[in-house]
Amino acid sequence: MKFNFSYTIDALPRLLEGALITIEIAAIGFILSLTIGTLITVFRTVSQSRLLNAILAVYISFIRGTPLLIQIFLVYYALPAIDFLPGPGELRIDLGPVTAGIVAITLNSIAFVTEILRGGLAAIHKGQYEAAWALGLRNYPLWRKVVLPQLFMKTIPPLVSEFTQVLKATPLLAMITVVEMMRVSQQIFSANYHPVEVLSGAFVLYFLICFVVSRSSILLERRFAVRSF
Amino acid sequence: MSIKDNIQPLVELFDVRKCFGQTVALGGVNLSVARGEVVCVIGPSGCGKSTMLRTINWLEVPDSGKVVLDGQPIGIRIGQNGKVSPQASKDLNKTRSRMGMVFQQFNLWPHLSVLDNITRAQEIVLRIRKEDAKEIAYRLLKQVGLSDKTDALPDQLSGGQQQRVAIARALAMDPILMLMDEPTSALDPELVGDVLSVLQQLAEDGMTMIIVTHELGFAAKFADRILFMDRGLIVEDGPPQQLLQNPETDRLKFFLKQLGDMNLNIPGVM
Amino acid sequence: MDLDFQIILDWWPLILNGFKLTLVIVVGAILLGIPLGGLLAFGRQSRFKIISISATAFIELFRNTPFMIQVFLLFYVLPFYGIRIPANIVGIIGLALFGSVYYAEIIRAGIDAIPRGQLESARSIGMSHWQSMTNIVLPQTMRIILPPIGNQTLSLVKESSILSTITVQELTMSALIVQGQTFRPFEIFIVITLLYWGLNELIATGLRIYERRLERRSLSDPASA
Repeated sequence: MKFNFSYTIDALPRLLEGALITIEIAAIGFILSLTIGTLITVFRTVSQSRLLNAILAVYISFIRGTPLLIQIFLVYYALPAIDFLPGPGELRIDLGPVTAGIVAITLNSIAFVTEILRGGLAAIHKGQYEAAWALGLRNYPLWRKVVLPQLFMKTIPPLVSEFTQVLKATPLLAMITVVEMMRVSQQIFSANYHPVEVLSGAFVLYFLICFVVSRSSILLERRFAVRSF
Repeated sequence: MSIKDNIQPLVELFDVRKCFGQTVALGGVNLSVARGEVVCVIGPSGCGKSTMLRTINWLEVPDSGKVVLDGQPIGIRIGQNGKVSPQASKDLNKTRSRMGMVFQQFNLWPHLSVLDNITRAQEIVLRIRKEDAKEIAYRLLKQVGLSDKTDALPDQLSGGQQQRVAIARALAMDPILMLMDEPTSALDPELVGDVLSVLQQLAEDGMTMIIVTHELGFAAKFADRILFMDRGLIVEDGPPQQLLQNPETDRLKFFLKQLGDMNLNIPGVM
Repeated sequence: MDLDFQIILDWWPLILNGFKLTLVIVVGAILLGIPLGGLLAFGRQSRFKIISISATAFIELFRNTPFMIQVFLLFYVLPFYGIRIPANIVGIIGLALFGSVYYAEIIRAGIDAIPRGQLESARSIGMSHWQSMTNIVLPQTMRIILPPIGNQTLSLVKESSILSTITVQELTMSALIVQGQTFRPFEIFIVITLLYWGLNELIATGLRIYERRLERRSLSDPASA
């Protein structure tokens, strides 16, 4: 059999639409995860709550110890099976595929983001807090003006890397009927019986997206990061 | 001191030059070492003494110049038409096996026992049978005073013991030349003496040795010659008495004064 | 809400087979992937431009694409060229290729961690580059790369669930089958989750024990400065 490039070209428009969905889902998921992850990190540092840290430890162990595909299935298939109201009447959380997918991916990413931020926080010189405190900065301004900017500057590479992971996670959503680029590919080649040509196109697109994102890490660093001692 | 056999020098360096980026490490070094000579190389940090030593077994490749061992050029091959090309690996490896090198950081192989450290190269490089290699190893360990350590692992030994094993490992190859790159610099003071005794024994047995060292006491007693290097060149070259008691150049005078200020016991000087 | 864990017992043979297949696939991927990673690591350093560029390209391609599309492509490409092999083998090969690029980096880091003096003392005694690597450098490398290799293994266990998408009947696939047959997703996914989590913790604990033993050995090293 010969590779027929025209099938790849023909598939391109729909693949690009799928790519857009892929990027949208990844972006939403990552922004949510970064926001929630930051809030969790600030809260755990300020409150020093042993309970919170314990819960987080179990949560992170769970997320990192189980496959993302299973986590997705849990949110999409298993969660609706739970009736939160005993007795008559029902309360279920039944999420549509896209919502379930974003929820699963976000929950997954939060575990990694909090670990990244925790590591970055530990690397910030304690003198920073002390100097700010001595200047009269407390709580919100302390965090907003002193700690968080440094934290994000330090953690740009691992955070960009995590975003790449989120991008690479999106095809799994095809398994719960989300029409992102992977599912689009399947739809196309199940109609034209040329999986290799179509998948090759999708492969190249995924590569371009992830490659550009990971290279941009260097650019972002140059723009935002300050080399500290 | 007896007259050493001086027919053909064992080691010769001809205008050896080496730069690391912008820094000149060797600015044209010329040297001739006879069989049985013990040469100590001294000088301030960064003067190029280690680099020079390492060009002799081609661990550093000179930018220009020639290094000759026992009449044969090292690292290069001169073809029929006089064309110079890199030496074949096989030949370089063989040449290297005729020289023993002892490093400041010992560089024993931590995953092998003391015995295996000494026998491994014999088996692989010289194709000596395991039993024969072991015999040689036992003899050498006795010579350096570590017969009881055959099955120990390097990290179970003190620095001085490790260095003596390293010397035994080098001697196991029956070299015609020993190169030592600051063999005692990484040792605690009380361990230095044991290693120096081994070196002394080697010198008295007639081994040709080139030793980069800070131990001026040892150099004064056992070296036939001392080379003083500074900024990539051999500045002074002569017997210990002459160099240490009557330094000619200001640089050597300054160097010795600095060491004197640090209160080292150099017989014959101060 | 009513739970029926009896179905787990009923379907246990299938679940167990899926679990076993997951283990087989991961082990196969490790056995294939590590040598491949070694080749890539050395390929990258090769003096021959064509080899070093190919190795680098291979690594970049596999790092910047989702595993799922790698296995899909592999699954459909092989018959395309007339090669017919069972899905399980395709799964092992796919997982091995995926893992190899990470193994390459681990191996490279391991080799770089060995002090130059080790290689120098071996070369200066007359060993060839090959002899030095196999006798002196690589044995030391093997010891220190075990923890990162172990971590990568954990990653492979999780990625293996994606093989369910190319009809491999590993653990995740068994969950989908049971769900399809019993219409009870909750019980089965909880059990499968616990099985994955348990396996992960088992391997992670084993690694921690090994790392602690490694640390204790190097602390007893008086000459480590």
